[in-house]
Amino acid sequence: MAFRHRRGTAALAAAALLGVTACSAVLGEDRSLVDASSLAVGVKADQPGLGLATGDGGFEGFDVDVALYIAGQLGVPEENVEFVGVTSAEREQKLISGEVDMVVATYSITPARKTQVTFGGPYYVAKQDVLVRAEDTGVQGVRDLEGRSVCQGAGSYSAVRITEGLGIGVEQVEAPSYSACIDMLREGTVDAVSTDNLILAGFLAEDPSAFRFVNNPFTDEKYGVGLPHGDVEACEAVNKAISRMYQEGTAEELLETWFGATDLDVLDSVPQFEGCV
Amino acid sequence: MTTTEPPVRPAPRGRSAARAGWDVLRTWTATTPARVWLLTVLCVTTVLGLFASASFTLGQTREGLDVLGRDAGPQAMATTELYLALADMDAKTSDVLLMGTDHDLGSGRDDALEQYEASRKQANEALLHAASLTEGDTVEERNVQEVLEGMGAYEQLATEARLRNDEAEAPPGEVDGQALETYRRATLMMHTELLPKAFNLGLDSSAIVRADHEERQASVAVGLLGVGGAGAAAMLALVALQGFLRVRFRRRFNLPLLGATLLTGALTLGAVLALDTSGGYQREAKEEGLDAAMSLARAQAIATDMQADQSRYLLDPEMADNYQQVYLERAQQVLFRPVNNLEDYYDAVEEVAVSYPELPGRGGAGEDDPGTLGYLGQKAQDAVLPGHEDELAEVLEAYSALQGQDEELRAAAGAGDTEEAIGVRMGITHSEDGAFRDYEQALGDLTDLHEEAFEQGIGRGDAVLAPWLWLLPAGAAALLLLILFGVRPRLTEYR
Repeated sequence: MAFRHRRGTAALAAAALLGVTACSAVLGEDRSLVDASSLAVGVKADQPGLGLATGDGGFEGFDVDVALYIAGQLGVPEENVEFVGVTSAEREQKLISGEVDMVVATYSITPARKTQVTFGGPYYVAKQDVLVRAEDTGVQGVRDLEGRSVCQGAGSYSAVRITEGLGIGVEQVEAPSYSACIDMLREGTVDAVSTDNLILAGFLAEDPSAFRFVNNPFTDEKYGVGLPHGDVEACEAVNKAISRMYQEGTAEELLETWFGATDLDVLDSVPQFEGCV
Repeated sequence: MTTTEPPVRPAPRGRSAARAGWDVLRTWTATTPARVWLLTVLCVTTVLGLFASASFTLGQTREGLDVLGRDAGPQAMATTELYLALADMDAKTSDVLLMGTDHDLGSGRDDALEQYEASRKQANEALLHAASLTEGDTVEERNVQEVLEGMGAYEQLATEARLRNDEAEAPPGEVDGQALETYRRATLMMHTELLPKAFNLGLDSSAIVRADHEERQASVAVGLLGVGGAGAAAMLALVALQGFLRVRFRRRFNLPLLGATLLTGALTLGAVLALDTSGGYQREAKEEGLDAAMSLARAQAIATDMQADQSRYLLDPEMADNYQQVYLERAQQVLFRPVNNLEDYYDAVEEVAVSYPELPGRGGAGEDDPGTLGYLGQKAQDAVLPGHEDELAEVLEAYSALQGQDEELRAAAGAGDTEEAIGVRMGITHSEDGAFRDYEQALGDLTDLHEEAFEQGIGRGDAVLAPWLWLLPAGAAALLLLILFGVRPRLTEYR
């Protein structure tokens, strides 16, 4: 585990007092992140607006700020939070190996992932949407994509949801990453890019006049806080922190900071949590 | 019997009074009656310690059962039902809008409105439970407050939508434009503000119960160690007294003290066993009873919202794609199979119902198939009470039948036969023999089993502890008497 424990010494003293058998019965054998005094948090390094490496070893974006807020609510000060860049494929493995304690990296909660990871949140429910060139007025709804080319990042299921889920015939183009997709859209090599609207908004915020949303959100992508599997206590604490983040208006401010330049309809009410057990 | 004792000497002059007093005490404690007294006091103290620690721990365990069984547990269950009640309000609103001027579709408009009213009442009651359970927790208290206020706003919008639709005399399936606009705002509010908070309140009430339960289990574990320790100490003291009397008075056995030693052992063992057994029942009540029942209640709540997406799909053609997609998403929460569209989902669900108790995708199927998950999947099967597998089988069958009806509905809608589609929809939601009603009933039967297990566990936990209400004081009193009988004859020899 990467985190340090505040109650470490106290637990040892108690163990000595009570004897070993009592210790496991009384204190529980599982340690929880709620006792951590420092945290290693996995974030994206290449997702503008969400998690982006700043070049000086730091990271910035909505996910980064959300992670800092949650850490603060767990009693971990900002200087004790260490960010680690993770790719989509690495998220489970880094969490399971203990290299990171928490993952806040556009990490969609799915039933399959829930068998390996305990998810706090979601802290935001993004929707799958479509980004097209600003001057391309031919696409008003997702059904107008029929026969057009849609780019998706490697390993993504976004286009499948359009073809299989909605039965719309689009030409699927796969690029190594979404930033490559955006470049292709700008150059006119593809007609549309489809993925979570929050990810698209991050790119759009960098160049608000070049693209526009089709604004026809059709699936829920629940961005969760990945936690070590079975850490129910931490999960409940994270949920409480997220509730507070929305109640205090911090979530709204952060969404405004990172995506305010776009016409994205952000949700400023707390999402429906997934449940910790 | 005569034994010679060293005479008590007066303290020599020149020493301090304290020193003198100390000497007197030291000399006195060297005498046999003093030693008997000291050992007796030790025995009495440790017996009282045993009594105190056992009563305290028994009290704690009883309190834990009480909180779980009659306070936080049922309140958490009621809070879980808040989501269901709210989802049902929106379901009934959408049904009424879809019916339009044909008030006899399905089980009828009046029936739907009555159910709306009943759900509204239930939501209000659930909110009261939630308020009482989350008292003192600022985050959740605010959630309760916001749901309460949101409900008022939702009702206004829902009523307005209904009135506009009535005024426009909209035929079935052709909701008036303004009414639809208002309903969109209502259902958006329901789904972005009310339902998430209600669901989170339910989750939080489970969390409160879990934290309380675990804390109490931990302190009972400490208590058990205390009882065991106090019992051992009392037995040691009694054996020491026995041994001292035996050596000093050359008696073979002091029967009352022997009896007291055995009784102490029996009481300690009995109390530890009772506490442990009761704790076990309590854990069962929580895990096999309450947790499972709450999980099924969530399955019902989400399915309620899911089936209402059928009405929304039909009454709002512009948003039909979205409603179809969220229908699938909610369905996947209830019962998950790795598929990407509804067509495949129908087949997958049927496969689950047919192959049960074998769940598809379990083990060895690789990364693409994580198994049969969701509230009615692996989780439900793990929680099935022995001998009640059939009840879960019925739930899965009813769920599969419900999905079969959905397939018919969408096929009719896809073919442009709106009337047929509305007919199917109103059949599903029929309050007497609709497919959703069947599903609810099957799920209700299964939930009842877990609720019974919950009450039974609490009852058993209480029953195990009940005799100790009098056993413990009576045992302690008997111990004190036995010590008195054992020691008094010896002490009288020194009068």
